[in-house]
Amino acid sequence: MTKGVVQFVEPTRDTSRKIIHIDMDAFFASVEERDHPEYIGKPLIIARHPKETAGRGVVTTANYEARKYGVHSAMSAQKAYELCPNGIFVPGNMQKYRDISSEIHQIFREYTDLIEPRSLDEAYLDVTDNKKGITSATVVAKMIQKDIYETLHLTSSAGVSYNKFIAKLASDFQKPRGITVIPPEDALAFLQALPIEKFHGIGKKTAEKMQSFAIYTGADLYQYNEMDMIQKFGKMGYSFYRKVRGIDNSPVQPQIERKSIGREHTYGKFLTTEEQVQQELRQLANAVAASLKKHQQHGRTVVIKVRYADYHTVTKRKSLAVYLKNEADILFYADELWSEVQGLEKEIRLLGITVTNLDPLSFENIQLPLEYR
Amino acid sequence: MKFTIKRNSFLNSLGDVQRAISGKTTIPILTGVKIVASEEGLTLTGSDSDISIESFITTGDDNADLTIERAGAIVLPARFFSEIVKKLPEDTMDIEVGMNFQTTIKSGSASYNLNGLDANSYPHLPVIDTQESFTLPTKLLKQVISQTVIAVSTHETRPILTGINMVISEGKLFAVATDSHRLSQRVVPLAMDMIDGDKTYNVVIPGKSLVELSRTIDEDVDSVEMMITENQVLFKTENMLFYSRLLEGHYPDTSRLIPDSASTEITFQAGTLLAAIDRASLLSHEGKNNVVKVAITPERVEISGNTPEVGNVKEDIAYVAVSGEPLEISFNPDYMKDALRTFAGAEIKVKFTTAVRPFIIVPTEDDQTFVQLITPVRTY
Repeated sequence: MTKGVVQFVEPTRDTSRKIIHIDMDAFFASVEERDHPEYIGKPLIIARHPKETAGRGVVTTANYEARKYGVHSAMSAQKAYELCPNGIFVPGNMQKYRDISSEIHQIFREYTDLIEPRSLDEAYLDVTDNKKGITSATVVAKMIQKDIYETLHLTSSAGVSYNKFIAKLASDFQKPRGITVIPPEDALAFLQALPIEKFHGIGKKTAEKMQSFAIYTGADLYQYNEMDMIQKFGKMGYSFYRKVRGIDNSPVQPQIERKSIGREHTYGKFLTTEEQVQQELRQLANAVAASLKKHQQHGRTVVIKVRYADYHTVTKRKSLAVYLKNEADILFYADELWSEVQGLEKEIRLLGITVTNLDPLSFENIQLPLEYR
Repeated sequence: MKFTIKRNSFLNSLGDVQRAISGKTTIPILTGVKIVASEEGLTLTGSDSDISIESFITTGDDNADLTIERAGAIVLPARFFSEIVKKLPEDTMDIEVGMNFQTTIKSGSASYNLNGLDANSYPHLPVIDTQESFTLPTKLLKQVISQTVIAVSTHETRPILTGINMVISEGKLFAVATDSHRLSQRVVPLAMDMIDGDKTYNVVIPGKSLVELSRTIDEDVDSVEMMITENQVLFKTENMLFYSRLLEGHYPDTSRLIPDSASTEITFQAGTLLAAIDRASLLSHEGKNNVVKVAITPERVEISGNTPEVGNVKEDIAYVAVSGEPLEISFNPDYMKDALRTFAGAEIKVKFTTAVRPFIIVPTEDDQTFVQLITPVRTY
């Protein structure tokens, strides 16, 4: 690429790594089917029944049976109900899914420590040098899928390639129970054949914009020179000029930091008094402080969330120059934020406190032992 | 009310009282400046209810050339009013209050009419009924403030730590501030004007008030008189009264926090150390952990910083003398920079005990009256 008086070096691809992307098949729904065999073969939707929530709530997961009706995650539960009135609606059990996810991670760790979780049901693994000394990443992927199935009775799909971008596309290629291997020599053909909206990272809006430039497939994208891509799509253009050439050098980042630690609680009996709010805030601050301690983190931003009986939701945040980790400090700022919300005019159904802007507690400024009288 | 005055002289006083006036106040009258004209002269007042400043211009003041034609009082919107006065065309100006608080400001051929407010609705300043006062040289007071205010906490979690603790006892003023990670302490002798030498005072003055006080008092004023009542403090100069509220509550006992022995001691020129810390902090500011490390051996003093996100830095610091045990200690360079600046380039001693105990910085020539303390950073 030439810009002004300078000429940039063409990017080259690094095909030396072996990356696996594991994606659990309809994770929450599969867990529920496993634990409730009576759901198998019926459309199962993980969401509270819209009749119980006056039409509110969203679908977190739908099983493959429900997907046949057009139900998908992030759809409103009401819409799902209209598409699939006979669907079984089950509220999710996040704690259970978290526990199972950490068991899956234990299986990963038998092969490699280079694990980058993307969510509870999805992770990248770098198996270039794996603990079992297996040279074929495809073999490793199959063994992991088998281990997960035998230990947890859950199915997964795997993508195997030389970078994260292609591995992710590959795992999505054949679902469920699939494995797709894209070796370096097939990567360009695979990417060129891919419809543009299938590229991970190209959302609906960008896809529409690309289509307006007659870019429908990877092959169309490939025709564009780097300068045009950057001018039309900014940083995304820079990135996709490389990705369509099979270039994505981002490493698998094992300790991808948690972005936030928070607790929220929905009250069956709505909160109506200041005393109740104060008591609940204290409990939440206590739980958040305990969780920060457990994860050896401290953070610089406190967020509170207040949801009223009518589902009107307010969040307030405050960022600080110093790190927080103690219950008293978290409570102080949560309470300050609460006084900005000024809201007991309506009953409260949910309160939450989150600490974000987290960093590992790798250092700590020693405090003077001040005694307050 | 009607008077004529030299614009520059008036602007000086107006600028002083404006330090107390906040544009953000929820009480509308406090966005105004109160002007009172009497036979003796003019009194200007500004307040945000935490601090109040009164400034006088006497009719005898040669620089002001003040002529009072008619006594009276008015409150004018401070922001507009000062912008107007700054931009008036001539050296002198006339102010006259007419019907319904309409105020005319004239200078040369320019004439403004401003809507004023009834001065009777302006809040009353406290009556300081004590006869007991202490006098401090202006320079010394400003020095005490600048040397301690750096350690004042900026967090409201512990409101008491947002002030400077001033203790007057046995003919001395002890000023202490701490945010729990560092501490500054200065002791100065006091001229006890009209006070029983046995009496002690212990108050906490908001750091913000003291910063404003320091900015308001002119260098050429020789001394400042200080009076304390139950919930306020008054600083008085010939032409100005500066009131501040006091913080409620007890200041934590800091008397045992300053270590009295050291196992490692280094003498530096404050400016040399400050420049080295400043260089090392360039990278640490970019990282998540704003930390630098100092490694001390009998042969050398090395400062280093490692910021994985950007890179690392290493430097041998020039020192005057080093003695005691070898030590490696980490700390926040910004705390160190703030502390070092208060020594105005003098020769200093840095005294350490262990890597996890606070260390202190004192002037070489006098380690009794001034100390900066910093707590180290423990790394895991």
